[in-house]
Amino acid sequence: MAVVKTLLYLLVYPGFLFLFFYSTFCEWFDRKVYARLQNRMGPTHTGRWGILQPIADFVKLLAKEDVVPEKADKPLFSLLPVFGLAIVITAGLLLPVWFFSDAAVPMISFSGDIIVLLYLLSLPTLVFFLAAWSSTNLFSTIGGTRVLTMLFGYEVPLFMAVLSPAILADSWRLSEIAVFYQRKPLLILPNLIGFVVALIAVQAKLERTPFDIPHAETEIVGGTFTEYSGKKLAFFRLMTDIELVVSSGLLATVFLGGFPGGAILGFVQFVLKTLLIIFFLSLIRAMTSRIRVDQVVSFAWRYLAPLAVLQLLIVIVIKGLRS
Amino acid sequence: MKIAVFLPELLRHLFKKPATVDYPFKKLAVPKDFRGSPFLHPDLCIACRACERDCPAEAIEITSLSDVDKKFRMAIHNDRCIHCAQCVDSCPTTPKAMDMDHLFEIADFDRHNLKMHWEFVRAVPRREPKPATAAPNPAPAKTEPAA
Amino acid sequence: MKFQIPIGPQHPALKEPISLRMTVEGEVIKDADIRLGYNHRGLEKLAEEKTWIQNIYLTERICGICSHSHATCYVQGVEKLMEIEPPKRGAYIRYLVSELERIHSHLLWLGVAGHEAGFDSFFMYTWRDREVVMDLLEMISGNRVHYAMNTLGGVRRDLDEGQIKKILDGLEILRKRSEYYFYLAANEPTFVGRLAGVGYLSKEQAMELCAVGPTARASGVPRDVRKDDPHAVYDDVPFEVCTADTCDVLGRAVVRIKELFESYKISEFLVRNLPAGPVTVRAPKRAKPNEVLSRYEAPRGENMHYIKSNGSDKPERLKVRAPTLANYPATVVMLRNGFIADIPLIFAAIDPCICCAERTVEIVNARTGELSVVRFSELRARANDRSRNLSRKGKAVWPL
Repeated sequence: MAVVKTLLYLLVYPGFLFLFFYSTFCEWFDRKVYARLQNRMGPTHTGRWGILQPIADFVKLLAKEDVVPEKADKPLFSLLPVFGLAIVITAGLLLPVWFFSDAAVPMISFSGDIIVLLYLLSLPTLVFFLAAWSSTNLFSTIGGTRVLTMLFGYEVPLFMAVLSPAILADSWRLSEIAVFYQRKPLLILPNLIGFVVALIAVQAKLERTPFDIPHAETEIVGGTFTEYSGKKLAFFRLMTDIELVVSSGLLATVFLGGFPGGAILGFVQFVLKTLLIIFFLSLIRAMTSRIRVDQVVSFAWRYLAPLAVLQLLIVIVIKGLRS
Repeated sequence: MKIAVFLPELLRHLFKKPATVDYPFKKLAVPKDFRGSPFLHPDLCIACRACERDCPAEAIEITSLSDVDKKFRMAIHNDRCIHCAQCVDSCPTTPKAMDMDHLFEIADFDRHNLKMHWEFVRAVPRREPKPATAAPNPAPAKTEPAA
Repeated sequence: MKFQIPIGPQHPALKEPISLRMTVEGEVIKDADIRLGYNHRGLEKLAEEKTWIQNIYLTERICGICSHSHATCYVQGVEKLMEIEPPKRGAYIRYLVSELERIHSHLLWLGVAGHEAGFDSFFMYTWRDREVVMDLLEMISGNRVHYAMNTLGGVRRDLDEGQIKKILDGLEILRKRSEYYFYLAANEPTFVGRLAGVGYLSKEQAMELCAVGPTARASGVPRDVRKDDPHAVYDDVPFEVCTADTCDVLGRAVVRIKELFESYKISEFLVRNLPAGPVTVRAPKRAKPNEVLSRYEAPRGENMHYIKSNGSDKPERLKVRAPTLANYPATVVMLRNGFIADIPLIFAAIDPCICCAERTVEIVNARTGELSVVRFSELRARANDRSRNLSRKGKAVWPL
């Protein structure tokens, strides 16, 4: 019985099927907001308001021909999309949302799971680099080196910004951090600088404008994804969508006070808070143009890292004042 | 360094109607002198072949069907036509025998469905008496439908 | 470690096929090699088979964006050969459409620059406002592209009161929006960070390499055919030549936006002071034997047509020198020591209209590197030989 229950959790809710439908819904929301900001319509005719458009794109890609280049490293090339998808779904299981009992304990929760979540979110970058390297295409190689160069820029500010509220809450466990901020909502305010830094760094991790250099369409024809097509490309795109949901879930847990209120209300709060964060990310995406990879690194080390350090100092000062 | 320069304009657009026209469910109206496909008023044509000479795409073909009763056949190959309306400008009759319609959704799978033809009897040009002073342009030939 | 990146012939950064081979070390470009000829259509030969009137429509279709400039340049030349002059009203309407075309072309360029830099919102906004100009042109001429307003001896259509009022209203809207784009392009930090300092071309280099149009004007060279060699209405209209001093892509963007404002001024002047009278004079069927060189300031630079007649109703020779062709050597110099990330921007900054610039083709033997110019019939024979001797699959020798 327990095995069946675990399988149901892994495959249906909160596992693969739920993340699939919710991430396509989030992609639809992102595309619709982006379009409305640009005075156009966005997806319109597939399903009411175009809600089925990302699912239609996924199904279309599944049906296309799958081409593997002759010189590519075939096992690595074919396995990487599945591997990446597995990583982000595992990361999704760690979010403190899925309350099934009244004890308000999420499905998987242990001390230190914030570190595990951050680590699991860094792995997709490595997956992209390996995908680019195993394609043996000129454009993919350039894309792969750009992915790693960007990693040097945004990773440190992201870690520092996400760990500051954890330090203030005195715990490394996501559900405990959420509960701490639910009890004392005023303590969310000192973390605002960290919130802004984390938003920008998450935008870089998800490779969206202004940081979509690794797969810049007008420069290197798709970068990492140049040689991918058909099912593999469908899995990569699903992976980026689920990464979007998981990152916004992480930011909502740590900075916006989690998802209290039991099963139904907690789920509604999860949807609202993640959609708010995705709205901010779409706003940043519409507002800026792409910057060069050397400018990313200099921007990150000149502005993001000092702000994250400042946030840490504020948190330490407040912690000292409270005790 | 100013940050978020673009932000007020962007947020203002969230509350505006989108600028896209939802084609093909809604269509825009074409203006008055839009150049669509050419067509013939067969009762006004005097078969002078000026349009056939001046067409840049060789899209007009006039053949004589019968010399005795002056029957002609004009075929317009709309798949070759570039919709420049030079045929309308070259037509010497008043009112003009060549005209342009306002259709723009003329795509088809088969190129032979785009060809049109008319069979007609040549209209008789009626000459007006010339004015006393020499005009730079000859008086346009008025036509009346052949009886 | 040097390796060669092929940008093109198929590439998302390019709107038309052209082959740029970059020799790259890391992210820095060491050298660039431009190969043309992918869009060659044999227009100059075809023009010899068609009459003077039919050639108006042929020259118009050399390019879609600058179609009116090619047609006007040709018609200016042929009117000189036939020794006729269009009436004042016809000339005013002709150059009004020219300025409207310049407006639409510069707004298009702004959008394309935004798209190449990744600034998609800017792209959507400028193209939305370009629809105002396109609707005006459709109202005046009957079509959004390939206006076909010119005829030998004037223009084909006239403007009435309602159309004049709509033109003035449209220009008002565009002026307000262009001021906002000027403010945005100069102040948005990520965009300016992409454009500033990129594609440097000094004033001496611009003059030495014969750059034309906004590419040269952004390096401080005040060269504009409308001022250097005024023809028809440009004597009466007050306007200034726009230059910038920064010699980079940001300077070219600023020059184009300034030219937008000048075009609004010129269009308004032309519309308000439209003289009465006929719009066309009758043109003869034949031209006397003579040769003429016609110059015109297209949105991209100086456009030249050389026309030779031999007394019949068809031209003997038509040669087109499009402005993009003159800017290619400057592009190679600008690309050296740039980053890969800057390639689309540098190339888009000269406003390439590659199909304008396709003239003769030189064949390069990929194995020995020798150059030769061959006839089309021989090219066909060679291609048939090669495809006959190929096996089905797997042995195709990619000419990289």
